Amino acid sequence: MPHILHSLPYFVAAWLFFCGLYGLVTSRHLVHSVICLAILQSSTYVLLLAIGYRVGGAAPIFADIAPGVLTVDPVVQALMLTDVVVEAVVVALLLAMVVKAYEKSGCVSPSELRTMRG
Amino acid sequence: MTDRLRLAIFLVAGPVFMGLYCYAAMNLPPWGQYRGPYGDMIAKLAVYERHATDTVNAINYDYRGFDTLGEEFILFTAVIGVMMLLRREKDVPTSPAGKVADRPPLSESVRAVISPALLITTIFGFYIGLHGQLTPGGGFQAGVILASAAILVYLAANTEAFKRTTSHVAVEVVEAIGAASYALIGIVPLLIGLPLLTNILPLGVTGDVLSAGNIALISACVGVEVTAAFLLVAYTYLEEIVTGEIPEE
Amino acid sequence: MTSPLPALPIALPLLGAGLLAALRKWLSRAAADSLSIAVAASTLISSLLLLSHALQHTQVYWFGNWHPRGSVVLGITFVADPVAAGLSSLAGLLVFLALIFSWRFVDSGANHYHALMLVFLAAMDGFVLTGDLFNMFVFFELMSTAAFALCGLKTQEPAPLQGSFNFAVTNTVAAFLVLTGIALLYAVTGALNMAQIGLALGGRHDPLVLFAFTLLTCGFFIKAAIAPFHFWLPDAHAVAPTSVCVLFSGLMVELGLYAVVRLKSVIFQQTFASGETHLRYILLAFGGATILIGGVMCYAEHHLKRLLAFSTVCHTGLMLVIFAIQGPLAIAVMLVYLVAHAFVKSSLFFVSGIMLHRLRSISENVLFGRGRPLRWTAALWFLGGIGLAAGPCFSTMLADAGMSSASEEAGIHGLSWGLSWLFMFAGVMTCAAVFRVGMHTFAGWGDAPITDRSAQVGELPETEAEEQKVFWYHFVPPLVCILLAIALTFIPGWQYGVREAAARVYDQPAYLNMVYTGHSIPLTAPRSWRNEIPGAAIRGTIAVLLALCLACTSVFRGKLARGLRIGAFLEGPLTILRAVQSGHPGDYVLWLTVGLAVFGSATLIILR
Repeated sequence: MPHILHSLPYFVAAWLFFCGLYGLVTSRHLVHSVICLAILQSSTYVLLLAIGYRVGGAAPIFADIAPGVLTVDPVVQALMLTDVVVEAVVVALLLAMVVKAYEKSGCVSPSELRTMRG
Repeated sequence: MTDRLRLAIFLVAGPVFMGLYCYAAMNLPPWGQYRGPYGDMIAKLAVYERHATDTVNAINYDYRGFDTLGEEFILFTAVIGVMMLLRREKDVPTSPAGKVADRPPLSESVRAVISPALLITTIFGFYIGLHGQLTPGGGFQAGVILASAAILVYLAANTEAFKRTTSHVAVEVVEAIGAASYALIGIVPLLIGLPLLTNILPLGVTGDVLSAGNIALISACVGVEVTAAFLLVAYTYLEEIVTGEIPEE
Repeated sequence: MTSPLPALPIALPLLGAGLLAALRKWLSRAAADSLSIAVAASTLISSLLLLSHALQHTQVYWFGNWHPRGSVVLGITFVADPVAAGLSSLAGLLVFLALIFSWRFVDSGANHYHALMLVFLAAMDGFVLTGDLFNMFVFFELMSTAAFALCGLKTQEPAPLQGSFNFAVTNTVAAFLVLTGIALLYAVTGALNMAQIGLALGGRHDPLVLFAFTLLTCGFFIKAAIAPFHFWLPDAHAVAPTSVCVLFSGLMVELGLYAVVRLKSVIFQQTFASGETHLRYILLAFGGATILIGGVMCYAEHHLKRLLAFSTVCHTGLMLVIFAIQGPLAIAVMLVYLVAHAFVKSSLFFVSGIMLHRLRSISENVLFGRGRPLRWTAALWFLGGIGLAAGPCFSTMLADAGMSSASEEAGIHGLSWGLSWLFMFAGVMTCAAVFRVGMHTFAGWGDAPITDRSAQVGELPETEAEEQKVFWYHFVPPLVCILLAIALTFIPGWQYGVREAAARVYDQPAYLNMVYTGHSIPLTAPRSWRNEIPGAAIRGTIAVLLALCLACTSVFRGKLARGLRIGAFLEGPLTILRAVQSGHPGDYVLWLTVGLAVFGSATLIILR
């Protein structure tokens, strides 16, 4: 039991990844697919932040604590910080594709928009 | 392939993948016991070496500043992509994708609150942007906050007011210049024989607004670029969804 | 004083892109074209200079002047060894030629196109040069985003939008897989620098490391269009303008395989030290499946760009099969084939662009017989086909020549006959498809081709109808590519350079030593590469002749006895394969998951 508790956040990340994939596979609306991509992204955030956490660690901001105090890992926070903002705009790009597709064909369901058959 | 067949195959492959993920995750170090040398070393060094109290931003704009340059250009590229996708073709009749009203349907009491909210948001955005090297914040966050302040103008009035506040041409130029300036700040050290993106500005006193050398300057440039980028995205979307008119180029 | 050279291939195009975007509204089309070509040319020159320095001594460049402290790496590094510098030069050359090709007439999306191409170039350069894992991910995302944006150039029909949407969804999932793998490796080693991770991992092969390997490899396999992750590639090619297709098939897809090679060599070298045979079988399985699927679907296509896209799938599978042999010679052969294939494929795409521009269509049915006046175009098209089949005088043949030596070094000489058969299959199928299209279009022989839905999608021409004339500069890029593909066969020094460069890639201790101390240790002399050129030339000629026969059975099927209509049978309804290539993004993600599960389980079970 303690072993599972030690890895619980990682299982949450795995579950989120699975949910995102499930949503993508069974999606019936293109906007829904784009949001599932955002869920996949959240899974990576949960994983990164869980990896960098230290129980009892302070935030890595030394404005009001003395340097040398044990902090959580600042590197993973730096990695995902820029990602959050950047992915928001990439989602905007994907949604622009969806908007344009709807404008040209009038449908937003992947099954109806089957023009790329092999 | 029918929906049911797709779901059936996925319900076999998906859990296998998730099982592998969980099985691997059990070999990770226990949660809450971060061991690695990288983060600890930077946490100990950043204040002394760069006079920056916000270690996360020190990593973002100095230690791993090259990554942030790449991420900023991802933003830049995605905005160009949005503008290119939703551009108006000449001679093609436009039909707005949706029938969104020009004036958002908000009650008058909400509208009344927006003006003070706008002021507070703008001040807050500038505060966050300028104090990136000291406290949590920095260019990316400030950019988003300031852009949302401008979008409040749209919420308070209508798209016309939003377009008057943010001239499309100027915002586009500012966005491109913001992106190019990050590259330029990086190139300047090349001229004196140091590698790209070396921190060459004076480091100042820890805790001052004007400290940490390049970090503050890059953070400001990124803030400008991100604000302009989000404004462009909002502008392009509003153009596409609300009015359907051809903007004057 | 550090030389600024390694940073220039990134800094120049990014700065150029920013300037072009800032001045977008005020630059005329000619000015934007000239400025972008100038920036691409200067990037190419800096990459070539970097290559010349790297050949003597690998350049290690620390951004922000953050040198490593002990064994902990603080900053981001570029490791410009000859392979990386060579690939970045190739990227510069292809972008330069693509920009020349799209001079003036191709719709530039209100002048956004130039900035996007320069960003794409910077991303490819950064991706190959970097020595930091997260930095590789950032450039992977930059490359992908620029690619999505470039696919949005043609928005008049719903088909392009679905194609780019499928492309965007699959490649974004790939990026997240890669990021998850990076996170797991970071948790284990506490490092993001590839050399430090390789040092810290040592010989561990517990389930965590194997799963991280699965995630990283499958993420990059998605980019490399290996089956069953390949479904997005034909859709993206059907959508993108010609110059962008050149970059996709010529380099972007192959960079996925380069990443796998680099990661295996630097990070996972010792992990698989004892399990190399088993890893070989897994990679051979995936590569072989890719070749078979790619080859058959290539022949079944009637949309020119999708046809060429499937041939890219097939040839990338071949590169994976060559890599699966393992060993420095195998890497050398793979790199030789990568470069040769890049030139041949780019030439074919440029020619298809000329056909689209002049004949206003890219569907085999519509083009039937219309290409008769285009003699030079026909010559280039058929030469490209021979190049795909590794015909004599083409540098693709060199890969065939080196394969037996590579398999001998790896100790699997028994398998080399199977590899030769796969090589020939790939060449025959793709070349036959190209020949068939050529015979239909340029000679007008045979009956009208069988139609299918994908060819009816059609493709709106990229240029205005008034300007149908093909100018001299449209012929320069394909001509340069084909001439390089042929010339490289006869320059022996180039092969030896690749052999040494590949040995440097394979040698993990040398890489670690280079990154941490900046000194290169002398390598053991590379094993002699017994170049079986005569044997390869004969096999290449046989492949070309077989391809000709196959194409003829398809073209002249009305005149053949029923039993001989092999070509028509292959062309006809291949219901299962076509049904799987359905255009539905959910299907693509489904097969992606299946591929992930299979690769992950295989790695875990076999290599434990």
